[in-house]
Amino acid sequence: MTISLTKEKLYKLQSLIALLVLCTAISLLSDKFLTLANGWNVLRQISVNICISVGMTLIVLTAGIDLSVGSVLALAGAVAAGLLKNGIALEGLNLFVGFTLLGALLAGLLVGGLLGWLNGWVVTQCKVPPFVATLAMLTMARGFTMLWTKGFPISNLGANFDYLGTGWLLGVPVPVWISAWVVGIAWLLTSKTPLGRYIYAIGGNESAARLSGINIHRAKRIVYTIGGVLAALGGLMVTARLDSAQPNAGTGYELDAIAAVVIGGTSLSGGRGSIWGTVLGAIIIGVLNNGLVLLNVSPFWQQVVKGLVILLAVMIDRMNAKND
Amino acid sequence: MKKYLFLFLWALLGCQQQQASQGTKKMAIIVSTLNNPWFVFLAEKAAAKAQSLGYETKIFDSQNNTALETDHFENAIVSGYQAILFNPTDSDGSVSNVLKAKDAGIPVFCMDREVNNPAAATAQILSDSFSGSVAIASYFVKQLHKKGKYVEILGLVGDNNTWARSKGFHSVVDNYPQLEMVAQQSADFDRNKAMEVMESILQAHPNIDAVFCGNDAMAMGAYQALAGVGKAKQVKVFGFDGADDVVTAIKDGKITATGMQFPQTMAEMAAVFADQYLKGKRDFAQKIPVAVELVNAATIEDYTAFGKK
Repeated sequence: MTISLTKEKLYKLQSLIALLVLCTAISLLSDKFLTLANGWNVLRQISVNICISVGMTLIVLTAGIDLSVGSVLALAGAVAAGLLKNGIALEGLNLFVGFTLLGALLAGLLVGGLLGWLNGWVVTQCKVPPFVATLAMLTMARGFTMLWTKGFPISNLGANFDYLGTGWLLGVPVPVWISAWVVGIAWLLTSKTPLGRYIYAIGGNESAARLSGINIHRAKRIVYTIGGVLAALGGLMVTARLDSAQPNAGTGYELDAIAAVVIGGTSLSGGRGSIWGTVLGAIIIGVLNNGLVLLNVSPFWQQVVKGLVILLAVMIDRMNAKND
Repeated sequence: MKKYLFLFLWALLGCQQQQASQGTKKMAIIVSTLNNPWFVFLAEKAAAKAQSLGYETKIFDSQNNTALETDHFENAIVSGYQAILFNPTDSDGSVSNVLKAKDAGIPVFCMDREVNNPAAATAQILSDSFSGSVAIASYFVKQLHKKGKYVEILGLVGDNNTWARSKGFHSVVDNYPQLEMVAQQSADFDRNKAMEVMESILQAHPNIDAVFCGNDAMAMGAYQALAGVGKAKQVKVFGFDGADDVVTAIKDGKITATGMQFPQTMAEMAAVFADQYLKGKRDFAQKIPVAVELVNAATIEDYTAFGKK
């Protein structure tokens, strides 16, 4: 009893232990690592990935995946920036609609939610595997971004918009506040609500979940929609941080998000994992990125090291799963 | 009513068919990527010039993928394009594609980047990245008074432009032993990555004098990281490309200098050459370098995004 308990505890703490080892190692090699300023840096840099990875965690828990997050992020950022800066002209109605900051931000989130919902709809109604459905969305959303921006960045969005990415509130960077709220709400959602229980149930055993009366299609659509909204939120933050919506923003972000989810111990086959694990996973990736630059490691080696860390995390996870 | 509509459509189709049989003049524009404003600009200017010369055009996006580029070449050859205006994904990997078009009797004109085979393309109009970065480096040395600490932010480490620019820069700067490079990191030509990398570098090296970036998007990102910690005034930022944001930033005194490239000149020259070829001209210079010009606060008024005013 006591042995299995410690084992379980160790299993839950494995990401935390990995993070501590990593931090100790880097701080031994560089005295610039463990400073308050660098801490805020790392947290601010990972806040976008945290938003995306939290959404990805919910989706992966249902045994799904969302490859479209990077493109959805770019489109949402570009839509918000474009609407804020240029408004939109409805030529058929001879009407010009300008947007306030709040309106533009909401429009960006709406775009994300809509694309996420579409992902969920295709997965549940058309029975397309999530990998394929969201791969298609990855391409389409990038295409829409190019159409919307005509391939050029939309820059100079004003200090109010930029506050979302560069501002400080009560001594903490605004993006860190946002990601903290996202994490808190997602944690409540997964641990305290019926939907949270459904998500785990669907990932654990979809047929059993359906037979026990859970509307699995509805639950999945909600989860993909949340994933889309969170990707869009990340897009708004990236855009605000750069004061510019880049048409190629978010390229490859799906891989960082999946890496955070996997390093955090969430099983890609669904049903097992947690939001906190993902947060730790995202911090590990952020610390690694930051540490490798602080130590001026060659860019070639950085890619190898990051790959190895992901591999190691999954291997440990596999071993634990076997022992269970 | 339906009958008339049908007849109308029939007539329309008939017209089109006739036109096709007369042989429409078509040029294919195959570019390495449309995921970067610079290449979008290059492709659009090439298409605009070709259209003004009376050609139909189609832009193919190789998505930085040489295999996809091969497909585009095959499709362009089969669908009867008379000339290809080409921006290669890879100087070695793209050679076989160009040769394939040559065998099919279709002239290829390279823009911006070259292919490493003098017999392949009809002419190559190339941006002189190396000497451009030499010019930037000379100005860099002057601005720093031959001494100080600097950071280099590289583009994609698998891209030959990254290294052409880096080598050109170092061929000058490395001659001054008091100029010390404290960090060399890659940010994949991406503004956000450059900002993050620069934020981290500034933790390790808070007192630097300058940053050299492999393109302008990264220069903007580096500038924002510096501005975020209140160091934008002390640190000089150098870019490469001559993009819109950086032209404005040089005017505002935020960025020190960039290497202005001339995508419009290259694109239009390629379209004109292709037109001349199809009208019978055959003697083209194999390589035509297009200079990259140093642009700083003193000369910025003569320039606009991606070119001269």
